[in-house]
Amino acid sequence: MRTIYIVDDDESVRRALRLLTVACGFKTETFSSAEEFFGVVPNSSSGCLILDIYMPGLSGWDAQKRVQVESSRPVILMSADKDGDFKDRANRVGAFGYLQKPFHDQELIDLLGRVFLN
Amino acid sequence: MAAKKYRQQTNELKVSKGQLKQGVDREKLGADREKLGADREKLGANRERLAQEQIHIRTKAMEAVSDGIFIMDAKTPDFHIIYANASFYSLTGYAKNEVIGCNYFLLYGSNADLRILEEIKQTIRHGKSFHGEMLNFRKNGEKYWSLLRIAPVRDSKGVITHYVGIKTDTTLMKQRDLEIVEQREELLHVTRVGKLAEFVSSLAHEISQPLTAILSYAQAAQRMLADREPQLQEILQYIISDDQRAVEVIRRLRSLLKKSKPTFEPLDINALIKDTVTLMMAHITVMNKVVKFELDIKLPLIHGDRIQLQQVILNLISNSLEAMEESSDSRILLIRTLRKTTDMIRVEVEDSGCGIPEENMKKLFVHFFTSKPDGLGMGLSISRSIIEAHGGRLDARNNTDQGATFFFTLPVNPMDG
Repeated sequence: MRTIYIVDDDESVRRALRLLTVACGFKTETFSSAEEFFGVVPNSSSGCLILDIYMPGLSGWDAQKRVQVESSRPVILMSADKDGDFKDRANRVGAFGYLQKPFHDQELIDLLGRVFLN
Repeated sequence: MAAKKYRQQTNELKVSKGQLKQGVDREKLGADREKLGADREKLGANRERLAQEQIHIRTKAMEAVSDGIFIMDAKTPDFHIIYANASFYSLTGYAKNEVIGCNYFLLYGSNADLRILEEIKQTIRHGKSFHGEMLNFRKNGEKYWSLLRIAPVRDSKGVITHYVGIKTDTTLMKQRDLEIVEQREELLHVTRVGKLAEFVSSLAHEISQPLTAILSYAQAAQRMLADREPQLQEILQYIISDDQRAVEVIRRLRSLLKKSKPTFEPLDINALIKDTVTLMMAHITVMNKVVKFELDIKLPLIHGDRIQLQQVILNLISNSLEAMEESSDSRILLIRTLRKTTDMIRVEVEDSGCGIPEENMKKLFVHFFTSKPDGLGMGLSISRSIIEAHGGRLDARNNTDQGATFFFTLPVNPMDG
């Protein structure tokens, strides 16, 4: 079963993305903060992490950095903000991909397809 | 008896002596009179010479000044000019023969504001002085700003015989004033646009979150229905396209108010502060406040965006002025610059106003936080993000005695360190 972890401080976004990914056949767990995710999910459990960038506490960038150091977990960053070059930056810091909110389901499915192909 | 006679004789003698003296006096008087006549003549000539000299000096003086001076005959109904100095001709562009004997008000030409001219006429006809600044036209149509003063001249009986006028070309002063106003307006405009951009950016972010959720809900539902319920599928498609419509509106709004990229250049922060205060001087004076400087003139250059840093300085000064608005005792706004460390300079804006309530301290730099009834709560949060983008820090504290101080640091231009 392909597992994905979604971290977003917006409850409705979490719920919608869980419904969508489950409908697409993924096993999905959601968290309201990066801290919560790190507290619950050990580095040893496989799965792709989808991280919102702007969150209270640990930001998406910070969390990605930690994941990078601790495991080989693929990370997808996403943001509703459109300042600057998030996509390039996400690439630079070693994230698997970047999603500009709001995004179409196909965009997400394609990206996840590539994650689990590897 | 004998004694009495003797006395009589002496009296007679005295009388005759007196008669004799009278004769001598008369002669002398005649000579004196002649002399007096001559003196008078001399005096008259002298007086005339003096008077002429006076007239000469006054005329020369009137010709020497750079203001246009003119005199109108008040006895004629149509304001005939009887004298104008050289500066008047060069100022108005008219030649002497076009001015002398002409109605002063006709020199304003066809572009003149007739209401103002009528006001001037009424004022001076009533024996009052006129004082006003207006846009005038030279003979060749060229515009210039003129400060005009006209005063009535009265004779010994108090009857107005003439009007004397002085015209000063204030174009250069006016231009400088206008330039200051324009620069200030531009800065305020940039600040407003900046606030709007920040506002739109926050708004866009807040709205994008639910739009993300709506889109994903609808697409999740579409996938769950698969090929069933075509009517529901259609409705879901409508939801998706309307979601897209809202996303598009936000995208356009964002691109319309794209935050401009800062352009960094070496800057003298002291000069920048002085320039910004100049732009606000009229406002500061109207509020009856005083700006004092304690600027470290040996500060190195910093690396920054001129307009953005001016925005910050303007914002801090405006806030300080507002904090001091209520109290006429707090008048002094102190701006200080100093070198904090070898690679940081520090700017402080210290007011003597109402200070910041402790509970507001933490929220000062948060978006949309404001203590002002008409405030948007963007000024300080934008200022902080500008300073942080420059590699510095912006913060505030209450003074121990009165008022508050806002201060920011900026890194020294590495080229100039």
